[in-house]
Amino acid sequence: MTFQGKELEIPPDYYEKGVEFGLEEDPFLRVRKKGSSRWIIKHLFHKSNKFLVIFWLIFMITSTIAFSQLVVMLGDAVDYVITNFGNIFDPSIYKGLIRYVLLILAWGIIRPVLGMVGNFSRELLAQRMERDGRHEFYLNLLGKSQNFHDQQQVGEIMARTADDVRMLNYMVSPALALIGEAIASLVIPIVTIALKYPPQLAIIPTAFLIFLIFYVQKYFKRLGPVTRDLRTNFGEMNSVLNQTLSGIEVVKGLTLEEHETKKYLSKTRAYRDALIRQGIIEAKYLPILMMSLIVVIGLGHGILINLGYIPTSHSLEIGGIIGYVSLLVSLRRPTFISLWTFQVMRYAKSASERLLEMMNEEAEKLDTSRGKSLEIKGKVTFENVSFIYPKSKNAVLKNLNFEVLPGQTVAIVGTTGSGKTTCTKLVSRLYDVTTGEILIDGRSLQEYTLESLRSQISYIEQDVFLYATTIFENISFGRVSSMDEVVKAAKDAQAYDFIMKYPNEFQTKIGEGEDSVQLSGGERQRIAIARAFISNPKILILDDSTSAIDSATEDKIQHAMQKVAEGRTTFIITHRLSQIRWADKILVFKRGEIIAQGTHKELLKTSEEYRKIFLKRFDVPLEVLIKEDA
Amino acid sequence: MVWYGLGDEDYDRKYSDKVLIQRVLPYFNPFKKKLLLVIGCLFCSALLGSLVPFIGDLILNGKDNQTLLIVFLVGLFLLTGLTYILNYVQWSNSSKIIGDLILNLQKDAHKAVLNQDMAFFDKYPVGKLLSRINSDTTSFADMANILMESSSSLLVVIIIFIPMFIFNWKLALIVLASFPLVLITALSFRKAARKRSLQGQQALSNVNAFVNESMSGIQVMKTFRQEKKMYEQFNEVNAQSFRVNLRRALLLNFIFPTLTLIQGIVIAAVAYFGGILSSQNLYLFIQSIWLLFFPLFSISAFWPQFQSGLSAAERLFSLIDAEREVHQTQENICVIQEGAIDIDNLTFGYKENSNIFDTFCLNVKPGESLAIVGHTGAGKSSLAKILGRYYEFQEGTITMDGVDIRDFDLECLRSQIGFIPQTPFLWADTLENNVKYGKLDATKEEVMDALELAGGSDWVEDLPHGLETDVGERGKVLSMGQRQLVAFARILLKDPRIFILDEATASVDPFTETRIQEALEQTLQGRTSIIIAHRLWTVRKVNRIIVLENGKIVEEGNHEELMRQGGKYADLYNTYFKHQSLEYIEEIGKIKTMVE
Repeated sequence: MTFQGKELEIPPDYYEKGVEFGLEEDPFLRVRKKGSSRWIIKHLFHKSNKFLVIFWLIFMITSTIAFSQLVVMLGDAVDYVITNFGNIFDPSIYKGLIRYVLLILAWGIIRPVLGMVGNFSRELLAQRMERDGRHEFYLNLLGKSQNFHDQQQVGEIMARTADDVRMLNYMVSPALALIGEAIASLVIPIVTIALKYPPQLAIIPTAFLIFLIFYVQKYFKRLGPVTRDLRTNFGEMNSVLNQTLSGIEVVKGLTLEEHETKKYLSKTRAYRDALIRQGIIEAKYLPILMMSLIVVIGLGHGILINLGYIPTSHSLEIGGIIGYVSLLVSLRRPTFISLWTFQVMRYAKSASERLLEMMNEEAEKLDTSRGKSLEIKGKVTFENVSFIYPKSKNAVLKNLNFEVLPGQTVAIVGTTGSGKTTCTKLVSRLYDVTTGEILIDGRSLQEYTLESLRSQISYIEQDVFLYATTIFENISFGRVSSMDEVVKAAKDAQAYDFIMKYPNEFQTKIGEGEDSVQLSGGERQRIAIARAFISNPKILILDDSTSAIDSATEDKIQHAMQKVAEGRTTFIITHRLSQIRWADKILVFKRGEIIAQGTHKELLKTSEEYRKIFLKRFDVPLEVLIKEDA
Repeated sequence: MVWYGLGDEDYDRKYSDKVLIQRVLPYFNPFKKKLLLVIGCLFCSALLGSLVPFIGDLILNGKDNQTLLIVFLVGLFLLTGLTYILNYVQWSNSSKIIGDLILNLQKDAHKAVLNQDMAFFDKYPVGKLLSRINSDTTSFADMANILMESSSSLLVVIIIFIPMFIFNWKLALIVLASFPLVLITALSFRKAARKRSLQGQQALSNVNAFVNESMSGIQVMKTFRQEKKMYEQFNEVNAQSFRVNLRRALLLNFIFPTLTLIQGIVIAAVAYFGGILSSQNLYLFIQSIWLLFFPLFSISAFWPQFQSGLSAAERLFSLIDAEREVHQTQENICVIQEGAIDIDNLTFGYKENSNIFDTFCLNVKPGESLAIVGHTGAGKSSLAKILGRYYEFQEGTITMDGVDIRDFDLECLRSQIGFIPQTPFLWADTLENNVKYGKLDATKEEVMDALELAGGSDWVEDLPHGLETDVGERGKVLSMGQRQLVAFARILLKDPRIFILDEATASVDPFTETRIQEALEQTLQGRTSIIIAHRLWTVRKVNRIIVLENGKIVEEGNHEELMRQGGKYADLYNTYFKHQSLEYIEEIGKIKTMVE
């Protein structure tokens, strides 16, 4: 691969694709293998993120301190009012009251202002987590092998890139932030109590705090399986429903409505059950009970001190008790917060596990260490090539041997599922051969860089995929091409006429939507052929199964194909007898093997299988076929 | 910025709040008892909750009387235990209610959608229906949850206020005066918050759409080395989502600090006036303010969610209430013995005033095989779909074995008709199950036999796990040809009396095609079949060909007769079938030599 003029191969320790795009080393590669918690933490402290964490922590702590100051001030104010009962309008006493009120007001204003600054840095952090997590995930997907992508459901990938990554965001804001706030608003009041009131009063809330820490750990563990189930069940619900609706015509035709509803309901029931399980775990949340109890106990404790039953160094007035109990009551909010924030944290952990699971699957690792950038002439040789899909036992291709000379057209025919498509995918190294060797111009595929190999091979696939953009973009496909070039390619591909029928001509958008058009199979194919003209490959592979609706379209496609095959080595996987009949060489596949090869004339004489098609289809005696050809 | 269709659908309607509540309430009916329990618990714990500061106040004022003190403290103790139990009962029951509520809504929505006819699915994309059934139900349930919680919060506010007014109505009024301030603050954020939230959702759906497209076309991307371009586009979409969601988050972050600011001011005011008024119950008031603001915060925090829950309910009921067009007049059991089809004076159009068929008549004799040919838009597929009751026809009658097809039970009728659409559809399930969809209780042997009949089953053995192979989303593990064989085998397993084939020429190799043709020839023996023909072979073999033009039969007869006539059919032959003939294939050789 080349990047900025330099020859670059991808070392395995880098973003599989990132380096090619000019990114630095993958900072998360190692940590990805070490589990979701480590991975999340690494993201939290990645680069400037750590400053946001620190910034947020500072402001969060100061705003919590401001809050407990507010509470203490209140207690003092109440004390002041009670001790000065009746003569509050005495100027000096009134002044004191005003002083308290102003202090309360000041803390009441400072607290939200500090909180807001902290919140802003927290939000920035949360959004960055989502953005960077998604970036990392997508980059990883780009680096995965074709084999990996074959096995994925696009719906599932979408769920992970959109929803699971979003959980990282929710984890920071509000969950992690609230946990931080909860810790601060649990610890600070306790410290305040210890400093301001008789220190023994801090015993009860401290015990509560220790209890809470232990309980939350257990709670987190208990929620684990439930949240995992919820996320998986939701994904399954989505994909079951997606399929039912996509195949609605078939569902109706086979009267499967009830069956499909049952299938869907079995998934939604599982979802419901998990939801209830989660509800019960939450309902049992013990700290809520403990919280209320410590308020009562604390009140009792305070009164006992006040009445002198328990000796202390400080005295404790009514106002002191009020301040103390208020501080205890203020633990209520963090306790409630912990109930559902740990649930969100659990979701984030489950979601990260789902992300890591996919990212840790093996990336496309093709050995290109010997690779050079070489020009291809077009001779292709298969030597004893066999291929077995990873994770499978059955060989899809067995011992293939053939040779194609530069510029020749080879037709690949054979029964459905006999390995025709797989065979051609090996040439551009979408998959690597299991045994044997494929040579181009007498050199092994490994002697080419992936870039030089793929840039000289074009592939027109079975169901032509077009991007939802303009026809121009789809033909030029990112290569800088002038309009003239694109027009010429379209003309050669016999696509020009139908393109010009649309009001926006080459700027017509393809796909769904109001201002877009839907192209027929034959039209899509010709766009793909035009694309191949632009990329001007030395080897062209046409997986041609699109039906021509009528003879005129068929005619056009024939012309286009003849033209594009000119001067290139061309493999055509085809069902069109018109192409098979006129190919330079025909390979007849059956169950992964080549059972016959040669020209039409030769095969009619030598291959029983091949003869069958022609005789059965056209009801013509063999002699006529051979004679006509002679 | 690209805005993905967020507008209303045709079946969307506006429900008045009253109607909406009338529609919503029946869903709570099955849970009446549980609901009463939950509300009871909520009320009781609110009551108990508000007692706490009150008792605390009593304790502090009467702390010198020891017995009273102990009674109060023990009472308070019991109170908190009771509150916890109430909380448990309420929470676990409400999560049961919510879970069942979602389930019932999803069931109804699912059934309603599956009962719609094809015209409905032609109009509305799968993705949008999907999010209505799955996501709108959950956000509706969220709303129900919020409703329960905030109603209890409201209860708390009221209950707290009563003692406050009793003890010191002046101070209570001061606290009350802050309420409009809180409400105005919460509401003033609402509009902007909803707008930003909507933008956030749109940005995320852009990400979704982009990932969908780039992952669907991953192979093209790889072979044309478009990774870098895709990566750059991804970065744009991702950055957009970042920006929009950050702006939303920052806005929402003003709400809470603003509310706490108001809280701070109110507390300062109470401290001041409490001092001036020399209130003995200052403790009670200050405790109550903490308690008061908690529910107020949660109500205003959930307000946007509440709104979106309401609109989710509206969207959901629109979907459930959408009218279907196909109506059966009776539900007779359908047993087709003969397979005679009579179409009399049929009038049909997808839209008003643009009829595809106008007083169309056609008789198909029992056991006859009939091919329909004609240009695109002649009405071939429409005819097939009308017979399968995918669309409602406007006038005329269609009978099968002399019975009006509207008089049959719909499922029963469809079970007698084998319809193969042009594009095969497979579920992400095993190969075996995919064939079994034709007959759910079929054995493995029957499945293999059907596959064998449908063009041979050699290929099955070559799959990684044979019949157990998971064929992937829409069958993407299989080639297009294999998918067609599966669809065909499915229908063979179903063994219907009447075949309706929308013939797909594509994707099946010549070897397999020959075998399918042989299988078809056998299967169609003695059964009525209507084939939308694309294959030369088909038109040569059928009993009768009808040529459709603008919804009318312009010619009929068999292949030889029609060719001899040299009319429309002969033209169609040159347009649609000639390229499949030997003469044409030989002609291509000349083009090739010309090009060279």
